[in-house]
Amino acid sequence: MPEFERDAGRLTFKLVYYGPAQGGKTTNLMQLHELAGAQMKGELMTLETQNDRTLFFDLLPLGFRTAAGLTIRFRLFTVPGQVAHDGTRKAVLSRADGVVFVADSQRSQATNNGEAFQNLAENLGRVGLEIERLPLVVQFNKRDLPDILGEDEVRARYSGAPWPLLFAAAIDGRGVRETFAALLRAVWRRYADEFDLAGAHGLDEATFVAAAGGGAP
Amino acid sequence: MSAGDGFDRDFALGDLVAPRDAAELCAAAAALLGVPVGLLDAAGVPFADGAAPSPAAARAPLVLELEPVGYLAADCPPDALARVARLLRWGLLSRARLRMVSDLHLEAVRADYVKLQQQNEALKASEAKYRELAANLDAKVREQTQLIDERQRQLYQAERLASIGQLAAGVAHEINNPLGFIGSNLAAAERYRGRLAALRDAVPAELWQQQDLDFVCEDFAELLRDTRAGVERIARIVRDLKGFSSVDQPEEQLVDLNAQLDALLAVVNGQKPAAVTIATDFQPLPPLMCLPGHLNQAFLAILQNALQAVEGGGTVTVRTRAAGETIFVSIRDDGPGIPAEVLPRVFDPFFTTRGVGAGTGLGLTVARDIILAHAGKVDIGCPLEGGTVVTVELPA
Repeated sequence: MPEFERDAGRLTFKLVYYGPAQGGKTTNLMQLHELAGAQMKGELMTLETQNDRTLFFDLLPLGFRTAAGLTIRFRLFTVPGQVAHDGTRKAVLSRADGVVFVADSQRSQATNNGEAFQNLAENLGRVGLEIERLPLVVQFNKRDLPDILGEDEVRARYSGAPWPLLFAAAIDGRGVRETFAALLRAVWRRYADEFDLAGAHGLDEATFVAAAGGGAP
Repeated sequence: MSAGDGFDRDFALGDLVAPRDAAELCAAAAALLGVPVGLLDAAGVPFADGAAPSPAAARAPLVLELEPVGYLAADCPPDALARVARLLRWGLLSRARLRMVSDLHLEAVRADYVKLQQQNEALKASEAKYRELAANLDAKVREQTQLIDERQRQLYQAERLASIGQLAAGVAHEINNPLGFIGSNLAAAERYRGRLAALRDAVPAELWQQQDLDFVCEDFAELLRDTRAGVERIARIVRDLKGFSSVDQPEEQLVDLNAQLDALLAVVNGQKPAAVTIATDFQPLPPLMCLPGHLNQAFLAILQNALQAVEGGGTVTVRTRAAGETIFVSIRDDGPGIPAEVLPRVFDPFFTTRGVGAGTGLGLTVARDIILAHAGKVDIGCPLEGGTVVTVELPA
């Protein structure tokens, strides 16, 4: 549930990048920090890492102010992907308002993807979130590498799933903003009515996505 | 769930700087800039009762994420103030990161601990279950053994009953045929006797009397009557035997227990010593769903015990009553009764007071098994006025 502070005129969404270890979650945030055309953009806060692996989380704050004076903030988190850090992963996931599942396109990683998604579904249940109602998009990252699953293959596998499916090569920024935009659209559809973003704050979906940094710069 | 207590909550200036540290920070900044420096919170109010800056003072925001958590204020060039603010921000950010990481770590550890505790509880529960199982193993084994024993006896009895039934059915069939032609032959013989009697006038009286044919004719009729009565008795016995073994009805069915007991008593009547009287006192009963052959076996065993108790002469009374949906059958004898020390053991398997070969000690045991299998109860007692009463209770 997004946090709405009426006195401060502030609405905060917590968005989480989830996925298997070394799938490119942090890279997504790093590129988004460069590419997002958000009105307000904070620094990427990277907590402890070990040999290139996230131990705790990364945090990228983005936001914008509406004409009506509401500040809308997005706090983008990554989780540590390694199996051992499940407690941390669960704590970061709790209170999430939207999730990007970053999958690794390499053929060798199919099992890891499956297990990580299973883990996401289980942890959502444990922190009291319903996967059916939570804004969720799936990104197949590392399209730049050889020996990856073909797009048709991926689409066929996910044909029964309701979530938007995106392809990215986060290392050179391809698909990163598009993924974020897809998540923003899902977030808008899920929460816009609840907070009367269209009525009281004069927003529409396109404006919301663009101002949050999901549009072209 | 509110983010208020999570690792990802928003930090205010007060979360990151203690009032004592604020004074020191301001003093250090003042030493750097050469003018007094004030620390303001997000709303622009002097932090921790610090001095209010002059209205003309420059302000530098302290931004951790997107919005300022506070400001530095001093009467000095803004770019110099901004540099000091960056320094201070660096410190604040480090503290914020430390807080986030340690809070996250705590949250994760707590969640893991809760999970471990749950696992521990589950393990404890399963351990307790196994302990209990181990402790009760003996009793359970005994219980199961007893159950198996009981089942075996029932099986044995059922098989015996089945073979008796088959035998009875075979015998009944074999006897019924000759009974049929004996009966019709008797009818013919009676007709022939009539014709022989008609010869009286044709035969010389002397010869007639010499052969004492008057007596012969009369006695012949008597013999035929007696024979017919005998045949009828045989037919009845065969019928009773069939009914008793219930060979025709191997399945559960609704029966009138009174009629059932009548058939049983007809069989028993033939075996009892002459000095023993069997009295009945039946009242109408609701129909009973039962295995008639098995119940007969149970009542036979009880009756046989009662008859043996009054071998030298006495009375056995069979009484039936219905109370609501429950049927009561009591079998009472006015024999010597059962000694108190024997009474609790009469239903034990292979317990017998009779000599070797006279009884298996299974009669009453099987009777009880059968009655229990019909969801009934059986009770044995010796009233003060003497004799023994066996009471059977069966739910209709």
